[in-house]
Amino acid sequence: MASLLQPDRVLYLVHGEKKIRSSLSTLYFCRYCSELRSLECVSHEVDSHYCPSCLENMPSAEAKLKKNRCANCFDCPCCMHTLSTRATNIPAPLPDDPSKTAMKKAYYLACGFCRWTSRDVGMADKSVASGGWQEPDNPHTQRINKLIEYYQQLAQREKLERDRKKLARRRPYMPLAFSQHTIHVVEKYGLGTRLQRQRPGAPITSLAGLSLKEGEDQKEINIEPAQALDEVEPLPEDYYTRPINLPEVTSLRQRLLQPDFQPAGASQLHPKHKHLLIKRSLRCRKCEHNLSKPEFNPTSIKFKIQLVAVSYIPEVRIMSIPNLRFQKECQVLLTLTNPVESITHVTLVGCEEGDPEDINSTAKVMVPTKELVLAGKDAAADYDELAEPQDFQDDPDVVAFRKSNKIGFFIKVVPQREEDGDVTVSFKIRHDFRNLAAPIRPSEEDDAPTEAIWLTHHVELSLGPLVA
Amino acid sequence: TNSAKNVAKIAAGAVVCVESEIRGEVTIGARTVVHPKARIIAEAGPIVIGEGNLIEEQALIINSYPENIAPDSEGVEPKTMTIGINNVFEVGCMSQALKIGDNNVIESKADLGRNMILTSGCIIGACCQVNTCEVIPENTVIFGSGCQRRVQTERPQPQTLQLDFLMKILPNYHHMKKTVKTTSAVTPAKN
Repeated sequence: MASLLQPDRVLYLVHGEKKIRSSLSTLYFCRYCSELRSLECVSHEVDSHYCPSCLENMPSAEAKLKKNRCANCFDCPCCMHTLSTRATNIPAPLPDDPSKTAMKKAYYLACGFCRWTSRDVGMADKSVASGGWQEPDNPHTQRINKLIEYYQQLAQREKLERDRKKLARRRPYMPLAFSQHTIHVVEKYGLGTRLQRQRPGAPITSLAGLSLKEGEDQKEINIEPAQALDEVEPLPEDYYTRPINLPEVTSLRQRLLQPDFQPAGASQLHPKHKHLLIKRSLRCRKCEHNLSKPEFNPTSIKFKIQLVAVSYIPEVRIMSIPNLRFQKECQVLLTLTNPVESITHVTLVGCEEGDPEDINSTAKVMVPTKELVLAGKDAAADYDELAEPQDFQDDPDVVAFRKSNKIGFFIKVVPQREEDGDVTVSFKIRHDFRNLAAPIRPSEEDDAPTEAIWLTHHVELSLGPLVA
Repeated sequence: TNSAKNVAKIAAGAVVCVESEIRGEVTIGARTVVHPKARIIAEAGPIVIGEGNLIEEQALIINSYPENIAPDSEGVEPKTMTIGINNVFEVGCMSQALKIGDNNVIESKADLGRNMILTSGCIIGACCQVNTCEVIPENTVIFGSGCQRRVQTERPQPQTLQLDFLMKILPNYHHMKKTVKTTSAVTPAKN
């Protein structure tokens, strides 16, 4: 039953600014705070830019200059697929002897999905395979650039004034970029982040910036305000009577992907350079440690740092559900998997009456009261035939089976509500966690580095509809 | 006679593999290649296929009875399905269209209904199910999950290179069905 393994069946509760319930596969675990983190309680940072089709890395400065577009790859303006370069042989006169013709290669862009070619918009075939294709120029570029410069200057001035006011309150060792307010102002009008670490003893950076700015402020940029016109170009006379050529009309999506021109006709749709994608890294907001840091190489999908929850927290999965009947006790088989290599002790506790975290459950649940012991994950267990069988005294009423680092156990569910909808149960799972990360403060006594702490998580299971 | 109806008339120069299933009154023109496991079934009428077509594996060209008519009812005239020249029926497509022109490409797993008429240069994209009652104008491309349409400026190129290659290679690995010399209506007088 593959539907029992769907990710939204078993949800873990994350304590953050918002109480988020999501499946363990989407959560991260900060092992310095010893807490679960979801995507909404971490800060996302751009790690690197790369093109999805040619997988070329691009440094951030260059990406910003090229407006986050790849230099080599194009998107089909019709279906947004990646364009491929095709070659044809055309007879062309030789440069030495105009009377003889030789076969030369001519290149054009073509889309494999909707069969659009660059010849459809009148782009001539190029003689070089790459680099010959230019995007048409925006006639308003100069005005736009001037406006951007003016507003960037304005934003800088505003930012400095705000920093001046908040100077006293900001802690001196906080790096500039991570102050939430500064980030907000810096991103206004796209200035770009400037990470400036404040050295102890040196004058506070913003003040230093202030003095510099006043010197540079001599070149002030003035812009002419936009002028409103009284007369508008009239519509052509046959605007209402001319029959529509439907294949020629562009769709809204095609039009808006080219904001410079927004052509109404398909014969003006020029291909645009492909948009770059980013690799992002995640950082815990409380302790500022990295939770996820991908590798720099675009072709590699591995991570330098990967603190995902599934490799630290035991995972509960639903194995089989009997027919659930209203107010009748049913036995549900769950599995618990131990991701770490050491033995883990797990206790399950039902939710008490009036538990503020227990808002979704629609059934009463009786969890096994005894402590469950999970063996460590042994990567070589599959190959080691002479392994001693694990000797755990399992109560057959509680533990259904045991297989290396996984056990199956029973819980009893009594659905309490007769309405339509899924039967939801929740309970708390308490397990021991050995923090293998380096201790932040070195202990004076010879503390066993693998001292266990007990973590509790609130788990919700969605067991499916009632059977009449 | 019944026996004459069940023999396919394959013109000289066509390459039709033995493993393909051809049922009913089917005429296949010269330089057409029919791959093994292609199926051409003429149930409710004959099928005439022109020259230079490429019919790939698991393609199904079927002239079947419309859904509301029982096969044995009388008064149903057999309609001929005509397929022009230089068409490509890619792997796994199904075509029931009664009239297909020239230079069309029906991509993999496309599905054409009986009431469609393809003119020339049309491309029916992969997995597109088109079941309307219309004539598709020339050089139309139907693509995407929503069967979007656009018109291209040039028709797809005939697959001459591929046809030549297949006509050389297929006989090396498969047995071919026997060709029949088609009698032409006008025989040039020779001295």
